[in-house]
Parts: sequence; C-alpha cells; structure tokens
Amino acid sequence: MRFIVRRLALFVVALLAISVVVFAALRVLPGDMASVMAGLNSPPERVEQLREQLGLNRPLAVQYLDWLGALLRGDFGTSMLTGRSISGQVAQRASVTFPLIVMGLAIAMALGIPLGCAAALARGRRARGAFQLAAVIGGAIPALWGGLLLILLFGRGVGLIGVLPSQGFPADGWDAPGEALVSLTLPALAVGVIVGASLMRYTRSALGELASSGYVEMAMSCGMTRTQAVLRVGLRLATPQLVSVVGLTFAEMITGVMVIENLFALPGLGTGLVTDVGNRDLIAVQSELFMLAAFFLLIGLAVDLAHRALDPRLKTAAGEGGR
Amino acid sequence: MAVEISGLRIAIGGRDIVHGVDLSIGDGERVGLIGSSGSGKSMIARAMLGLLPVQAEASGSIRLDGTQVVGAPDRALADLRGRYTGMVFQNPAATLNPVLTVGRQVALPLRLHYDLSRAERAERVAAMLERVGLPADVASKYPHELSGGQRQRVGIAAALVTSPRLIVADEPTTALDSITQRQIVDLLVSLVDDAGASMLFITHDFSVLARATTRCAVLDAGRIVETGATADLLEHPADARTARLVDAARALALRPGGGDDGGSGGGDTAGDAAVEEKDMA
Amino acid sequence: MMARFGAIVSSLWRRAGGRFSLVVLGLWVLVSLVSLVWTPQPLWRTDGYDVWAAPSAEHWLGTDGTGADIVSWLMAGSRTDLLIVILTVLFAGALGLLLIAAMTARNSVLANTSVVAVDALISVPTILIALILAVPLGASVAVIVVACGFGYGLNLARVARPQALLVARSAYVESAVSNGASGVRVLFGHIVPNILPVLLVQLSLSAGTAVLAESGLTYLGVGVPSGTPSWGHSLATTVRFITVYPLTVLWPGLVVTVVVVALNLFGDALRDAVDPVGNPALRRVAVEETEA
Repeated sequence: MRFIVRRLALFVVALLAISVVVFAALRVLPGDMASVMAGLNSPPERVEQLREQLGLNRPLAVQYLDWLGALLRGDFGTSMLTGRSISGQVAQRASVTFPLIVMGLAIAMALGIPLGCAAALARGRRARGAFQLAAVIGGAIPALWGGLLLILLFGRGVGLIGVLPSQGFPADGWDAPGEALVSLTLPALAVGVIVGASLMRYTRSALGELASSGYVEMAMSCGMTRTQAVLRVGLRLATPQLVSVVGLTFAEMITGVMVIENLFALPGLGTGLVTDVGNRDLIAVQSELFMLAAFFLLIGLAVDLAHRALDPRLKTAAGEGGR
Repeated sequence: MAVEISGLRIAIGGRDIVHGVDLSIGDGERVGLIGSSGSGKSMIARAMLGLLPVQAEASGSIRLDGTQVVGAPDRALADLRGRYTGMVFQNPAATLNPVLTVGRQVALPLRLHYDLSRAERAERVAAMLERVGLPADVASKYPHELSGGQRQRVGIAAALVTSPRLIVADEPTTALDSITQRQIVDLLVSLVDDAGASMLFITHDFSVLARATTRCAVLDAGRIVETGATADLLEHPADARTARLVDAARALALRPGGGDDGGSGGGDTAGDAAVEEKDMA
Repeated sequence: MMARFGAIVSSLWRRAGGRFSLVVLGLWVLVSLVSLVWTPQPLWRTDGYDVWAAPSAEHWLGTDGTGADIVSWLMAGSRTDLLIVILTVLFAGALGLLLIAAMTARNSVLANTSVVAVDALISVPTILIALILAVPLGASVAVIVVACGFGYGLNLARVARPQALLVARSAYVESAVSNGASGVRVLFGHIVPNILPVLLVQLSLSAGTAVLAESGLTYLGVGVPSGTPSWGHSLATTVRFITVYPLTVLWPGLVVTVVVVALNLFGDALRDAVDPVGNPALRRVAVEETEA
C-alpha cells in the first residue's frame, strides 16, 4: 500500500515537473512566443496584438498557473492556426495513432514472444546463432527504412506484391472501418516488426536465464519436460519483466510510430505534433507535449503497478521502494 | 527402486566433470555421496533424473529398476520424474516457484501425473503438509513468507507427495542452521523409510551423512575413491582423500559456531546461495 | 594494463560477432577521418542536369534529387553520426553513473527518491524530450545528444542498479567505508569495476539506438539541421522519391543497419571478453599481474 501511495505521489510530482519543463521550454525562445508565432516580417502591431491576446504580458507565474488551471479543467486551449479546440484535434489524431500502436504492439507480441521462446529453447549452436542474428538485425533496422522496404514490397502501385495502401487514411476515418483498418495494416506491420525484434531479444534473454534456474529444475523434477518447464514456469516468471519491457518499448516505440505516421502520411498524433512544431502553433505544441508526456507517465505507472501485482514477492515486501 | 550406475561420464563444454563413476543403490537403501565442492556430486544426481544442464553430455549407463536413463528422451524421463522419483534441492529459496502458493507447489506432481479432483488433491496436499510438520494454513502462503526450514519442508513435501520409489536429495541441509539441519535430516529419513523408498543423499558434511545414510561413496574430482558402510568410513577412512575430508569436517565442527553459518560452504550448483539467503531474509 | 587490453581485443577478434564489429567500427572511424580531407566529389557540387543519376564512375552510388553525390554525403555523414554517438555515450554514461551513485547512496531518502524518480521518468520517450528541446533550440545535434543521453542514462541506471546495489551493500565495501573510503572512491574503485560488463553492453546498445534515433529525429525535422551531412539526412532526402528511385534509398538504410548491428554485436562480444570468468586469457593476464 505504501508503495502505491508513494508511486502515485511521484506520478503527480513528475506530471508537475513535466508541465514546468514544457512551459519553460516555450518561454526561453529567442524573442518571445508571440513573435515566433506571428512569423518573421510581421508588423509589430500584429505581434503586440498577439501578445495581448495570449496574455504574454502577464508575469510568468500567473501565465503558468493559468495554463495549469485550464488543464485541470480539461481546457487545453485553442489552436491558433485552425481555430479548433486542441482537445478535439488531439482526440481525432489519437483515433489514428492508438489503433496503430495497438495493432503494432499486437503484431510485435505475436512475433516476438514465440520467436523468443523458440530461440531460448533452441539446442544446436547454429539454430541459436541464427535466432540471435535475426533478432539483432531486426532491431537494427531504422523505422524509416523498414517502412520503406515494406512499401517497396507490398505498397499498392509501387511494391513487388502491391496489395496494401501505403499512403494516407480514409477521410471518413473509422466511419469506413474496413478501409481504415486496411490503411493501417502496412504501417502497423512496420512498427510491429521493429518492436517485435527487440521483444524477441528480451524474451530470449529472460527465458535463457530462467531456463537454467532452480525454478525450472524444480518443475522438471516434478514431472515436466524441459520445454514444458521453460514455457510454463519460465514464461510466467519472466512475465513481470516482460511487462516492464513492453511498457518501455511502448515509450521508445513512439519515435518509430511518429516516423511511420509521417512516412505513410497518416494524420496521427506524431504527424500532428511535428506539423504543429513546424507551423509554430506553440499553444497547441505546449498542450500536446504535456498530454503525450502525461500519457507516457501513466503507462509507466500502470507498468509498475502491474509488475508488482504479478510478483507476490513484491506485494508483501513491506513498502520497500526499490528492493 | 534399485539404481545401477556404471561407467558414468559427464562433460560440460568439452571438459570432463565426472570420469567413469560406478555406484549402486539397493531397493529401500539410503546411500550417501560425499565430496568437496566441485567434485561432481550434483551432476551425478542430476544425471539420474535427466536434469543435467543442456550443455552437459553424459555417457555410460544409469538404470532405475532396469530403465536406462542416459540418452532417454525427455518426455519419457518426465513421466518418471515426480511419479517414481522425487528430488529435494539444496536451496529451496531458489527452487520453489515464487509465484505459486505452497499448496499449488506441492500439488504440482499430483497435477502432472494423476487425474484427481480438486478436493482429492487438496486432501492429499494437506495430509502431506501435516506429515512434514507444517501447519495447515501454510498451503495458501507463498514461499517467501516462510522461514528457511519451513521452505525445505515444503520442498520435501513436494518431492514425496506422490510416494515416489527413489528420492534424490542434493545437499538438502546446506542452506540451514545446524538445529534445523538435524530436524530436516531426521524428517527426510523417517519419511523415506516409511515409504520404503531408496535415497541418494548428497552432502559435503560428515555429521549429516552419519544420520542420513547407511552406506556411502566418497567422490573426489569426478572419481569415486572409496565406498563402504558410513560408520566404518568415518572411523577408519582407507583412502588419504577421505581422511582429509573427515579431518576437515572435524576441524570445522570444533570451531566455535562452525556448523552454524548457513550456506557459507556453498555448493556445486549454487555458490551464491548464501547471498540469496541473506537477500530473502 | 596494456596486456589486459591486448587480451580483450584478441578475444574479441576470435569471436565472429566481435570480428565483424571491430571491422565495421574500424571502417566507420577511418571513413570519418578520411571524409575530413577527401570525398569522391565535393559535398556542395550539385548539378541540376544530373539529378537521380544512376551509379557511374563519377558517382559511385549515383546522385540524389539535387544532383549531390550520394557516396560523398554518406562518407561525410559518418563523422556526424560518430560525433553524435560518442557524445551521447559520454552523456549517458556520466548521467547513469551519477544516478547509480545516488541510488546506492547510504542516505536512504536520496536512494529511494532517485530510484522512484528514475522509474517514473524512464517512461517519457526520447522523442518527446527531443521535441521539447527542439522548440527553443531548433534542429541541432545537441537536441539528439541531450535527448538520447538523458533517456539512455536513465535506462543504464535502471538496468545496472541491482548489481550495483549488491556491491554497495557487500561486506568489502562496508569495510572499505569503515576504513574511511569516500563515496567517489567506492563508486570508481568497487562499484564501476563490478558492473563494467553491464555498463559496456548497455552503452554499446545505446550507441546503436543513438544512430537509429538520429535517422528518426532528423527525418522528423528535429535532429541534424538540413545542410549538415548525416546518415539520417541522406535517408530523409531520398525518402520522398522512393516510388521513383527506390535504389537510392537503399544505401543509407543499409549503412545504418550494418553499423547498428555491429554496435549491438560489439556489446555482446565485449561483455564476454571483459568477463574474467568467461575469458581465460584475461584470467591469465590478471594472475600474471598479481604475481609480478
């Protein structure tokens, strides 16, 4: 219990810290936000008007508290460029990104975990070497390039077996679920293969260690074959660790996801954020950065709590933070 | 169950660990295997149950009631393990599955080999826990919630719950304090004798050996240097290496508190047992 | 010390993965140095009439959409990537050690706070840190180095903690401390040597990830500024036209993949080579040194 309370408190502190960092990053710009947003060569009156409109003339602390208060009320501001509410904009983009991430993660797990098990159980030197090489190469492919290769293989119109669309997302979004799903297939495959390779590596090393452990020996002495013991006992004991890895991979995978979104011209969070940074829509950037960081802190929190729930040794270890 | 080992060789990564060992255990006999750390005792024990690490290569012959173990497929050996044979490990903290309750851990061999109803299984587990002297509420606890001695009782319960014909005990007392050591050895001996099973008892501690076995073999650097009745061997060691081991054991026993320092002696398989014990505590 | 270094290198060379990585990494450094004084074509010589040229004697791998020579840009890109990797590894290593020192500190408030802080912060992705930094700094090498170094430093500390803690609480460190050894001495005299294999593996994995991050961040416009040669730059400039000229995009991706594979294999091989238990040659040297 003490752990959970402390972890939650830390989540709140980290959230506040991130909000300060994001806020500060946007105030140390050369010039100020108004002049950056107004763009070069805009008349000083326009800049002054913008400054007034955004309340940039007020003290920093007031601006910060004002923003934080608005966030707490769920008011993420209005985009200067499109005039739409930022939360609406983010929600729409998330409807592309989240399915992409979920599909990518599912593909990664479907590939990485069984292959990792096979690699850990492989007997011969050659088989072991081949699995290891596959994992190392799979994890070394840049997301951009992996996506390109997939387009060149399967992209409609360009690929060798051009069967899947490689650009864009249907304008009706999920109102055309079939089309939407198909347009996400190739990008999800790109994300999945890359993440799957690292998941395979983690599964193999976690299981490899456990395969020679006393726990597996004990299960074998009770009547399991080695394969059974490694898969049933080893995989279960590796689960907390793998949950952490998936959580971390999830955070690391977002770079790949952003690249893939750009490459496949998907109107998701990554593309949106990069566009907003490019357009200097700083009000939107500020809120979006904060929302994404908060989301990943939340994932981290969930992973830590899940890790604890999956290992009975940690549950009773009287609130000791890190042991 | 009668065990007949002849010409057993074990190599790991091209290095020979065991060089041609012959050893027999009669039906219902308790035999000790003693030797210093790294002499290959644990490897012999593991070879008997097909538990050798994947990199290890065994040759020669091990027959359990006539069934050849060396080179047998893992599936066939798994059918023997936990049904006709049981194993008690050195360090229960590193062998009892940390995510299983004691009840489920002890029930595992029953679950794997017999088609029992939940209630029947629970009943047999409860009876077994009682026989090893554990309170009934232990069944719903996790291994890390128990003391070292209690954990080893759980290990013994899991090894004996199916009434196997052969028990292999690999330094079952090394990680325990001297009073608990005695209790555990006596418990193991009485349970094995009640069941009429055979036992191979591995240790590097002569005081434990005398309590646990009637006959024993001394292993040094992968070879058996002497075999005989345990009491004789302790009184009149014929081989110089045995004498040295006996002397060393005596010297250790004379040191104040010598026998009590838990797993500091280490073992063939788990050199870091002492560290782990401390961590768990 | 020299003998020890020799033993490590020769045992690296004996492993297939180690040999491959030594060759690739050696070539990388060599090409980076050569590119400072010579490239097949001057970087800025572009020819508007010779865009997307096929490979020829003049342009070994052809030209891109501005008529710039692909080989020359890849060669020049290797020095930018080398610089990024070295700086990132140094930054990550320094931050990681600092955090390890904090996490194994005797002061339990400091230790617990840093452990939980690392656990919480590690879930913030590198790309977000890069984007936050890119707002004031614009696209620059510093963004990549700081963002990656921060993320990998946290990761390093998290991975190495259990082992570092074991050493920090061991009897010999206790006795060193009671004999008056300072925290810094304990860190560098006891903890670092004991977690060295983990450190080396993690840092070489980080080096590989940094190369990958460079290509991703540069493509997204927050990494290496346009005009500065880098592998990510080469990849990004050729990407837009893959449907027309798929072959040009093959090379930068291949270079990145091969180098990242080499860095990962290097980490694995190095872990085995510096482990005195696994490397008999190193053991022999250590014995000779203590006897001498």
